[in-house]
Amino acid sequence: MTDLSLPGFLALSAALFGIGVFGILTRRNFILLLISIEIAMNAVILNFVYFAAFPAGTSGLSGQSIAVVLVGFAATEVAVGLAIVLALNRLKGTINVARATELKE
Amino acid sequence: MSVSSFAGPFVPELVLLAGTLLIFLLDVLKVRRIELTGGIAVAATLAALGVVVADLGFAPLAFLATVPASQIDVAPAAGAAPLFAFTSFGLVFQAIFLLATFFVALASVSRPSDERGAPIFYGLLLLATIGMLLVAIASDLIFLLLAIEVVSIASYLLVAYTRKDVRGLEAAMKFFVIGALSTVLSFFGASLLFGAYGTTNLYLIRAAGTAVGYPVLVLLGYGFLIAGLAFKVTLVPFHAWAVDVYDGAPDDVSAFLAGGTKKIGVFAFFLVFLGPVLAVGAVGSSGYGLFGGSVALGASFQITLGALAVVTMTVGNVLALLQKEMKRMLAYSSISQAGYMLIGIAIGTAPALGGATLQVFAHVLMKTGAFLVVGAAAAIGVGPLIDDWRGLGLKRPLLGVSFALMLLSLAGVPLTIGFVSKFVLFSAAVDAQGWFIWLAVAGLLNSALSVFYYARVLKVMFFDAAPAPAGAPAGSVVGGAGPPALPLGGIGYGRAASLAIIAALIVAFGIYPQAVLGAIQSAAYHFVTVGA
Repeated sequence: MTDLSLPGFLALSAALFGIGVFGILTRRNFILLLISIEIAMNAVILNFVYFAAFPAGTSGLSGQSIAVVLVGFAATEVAVGLAIVLALNRLKGTINVARATELKE
Repeated sequence: MSVSSFAGPFVPELVLLAGTLLIFLLDVLKVRRIELTGGIAVAATLAALGVVVADLGFAPLAFLATVPASQIDVAPAAGAAPLFAFTSFGLVFQAIFLLATFFVALASVSRPSDERGAPIFYGLLLLATIGMLLVAIASDLIFLLLAIEVVSIASYLLVAYTRKDVRGLEAAMKFFVIGALSTVLSFFGASLLFGAYGTTNLYLIRAAGTAVGYPVLVLLGYGFLIAGLAFKVTLVPFHAWAVDVYDGAPDDVSAFLAGGTKKIGVFAFFLVFLGPVLAVGAVGSSGYGLFGGSVALGASFQITLGALAVVTMTVGNVLALLQKEMKRMLAYSSISQAGYMLIGIAIGTAPALGGATLQVFAHVLMKTGAFLVVGAAAAIGVGPLIDDWRGLGLKRPLLGVSFALMLLSLAGVPLTIGFVSKFVLFSAAVDAQGWFIWLAVAGLLNSALSVFYYARVLKVMFFDAAPAPAGAPAGSVVGGAGPPALPLGGIGYGRAASLAIIAALIVAFGIYPQAVLGAIQSAAYHFVTVGA
């Protein structure tokens, strides 16, 4: 189970998380933004699964169970995001975050 | 374990859940009168508040108590990893959260916008409140973060609940994007802490303290958690969203966001960072050794949180000085107030945490009330600019006097609750000695600075001539003027009652703070000694 060493794993998880956060900060298309959120969330889920096995803590199955809960949570969040952007699309006809300019910066 | 003994301690949450389901059921049955749905929400909140206050040991309501006193403030057995625990500190926060919901629910009964939205608004309000109550009993990092998400998801929808208002929807979208970013940051931090400690239980993490194999994971984990939670509390590098969201959201929702949901972040800060702040000693480079050297955990967190607090209160106040719109000014003032609350956890002593909790309590009264006044003013056709409020204090004595009391309390004038909370908080900082005295100095200087913009509003309201009535009001009201004029000159009974209660409480607790101070201080003491 320790084929993947801690530094190697951290690099993978940091890369996934970095891609996700970079996407959240730079993407202007709302759908791509949601995908970026998912990528970052997957880094989190991966962390829980990996750490449940690797440093041999007292965790038992808690890492895996948290991972399952988080999968469900991520789906909820995306559903709410889509509902908001759908309502906005009906009013303004765009899902571009940068065109949301009614509020002053 | 029987059902009743399991459900017992969750009576406040269950009452609110029943209220939520009843409201949505009535919506399906097309019973949408705002007095009815609002009444259900107010009644459910009051009932839950009664139970929480009884659990805190308030004798006259003792018959409502559901958590046995023997279960409150008890440290779990060594090695046990409970998901939730009942502490008097958490119960104090539950009461504060319920108070915020109560004021908003009562005031919104006389909201001028359409009735169709009423069931959605009240249902989501109660759902968010359930999440807030769960935050206050959490003793596990994942439980805490998921409870925060219950609140966040309900509040994204609350901001957008009218569905017809572009400003509200755009605010909701910004809120969602920032909220999602904050969520992934906090969960990533939690996952790294799980890697370091092998558990997400806050008791076990606190007991392990600095004895970890992977110090780098601890530091990174807490770093991500600071960033993630700082978005919720609107600390300064992470504050920019708050002003737009409070500005774009319907007025009553802004009141709930600024007065209510923001405080869950404050509580989460207390809960998560009490362990590391009190940790004596250093996490060393014993483990994998990705980074050499060692870091004194407690001191470095105190400096980080203290610096964040000072930057937050200063930037918030300076930007508030520059605002021309009432709602944006209140939003920046709300940001600066978050800085004062953070002082409590930066110091980490029981008196400081008690002072910060009192500040949270005062802030719920002042800021919820202030945003509700803005809502009332918008409902009677006053524009969004501070200058539009000229002469309002004399023309509308209820709005004028209650708003004046809230602003004086925000500024920290004696005989108001805002003075007492700042006094307790800053004197705790001075008592803590060392560099903490500078936190008190920074707080006092900022209070002086904030007087400028509060006094400006008071001058405009009471000493400037009212504008000529000919000019059409530049209203930012959602839905425009409602067809039937509300009683009390357009303010409505519910909103008037809510404002009157808030104003009375601000003065009452300002003159007689002992009514809450003792309970809060003893709760904070137990929180520091028993933990989580």
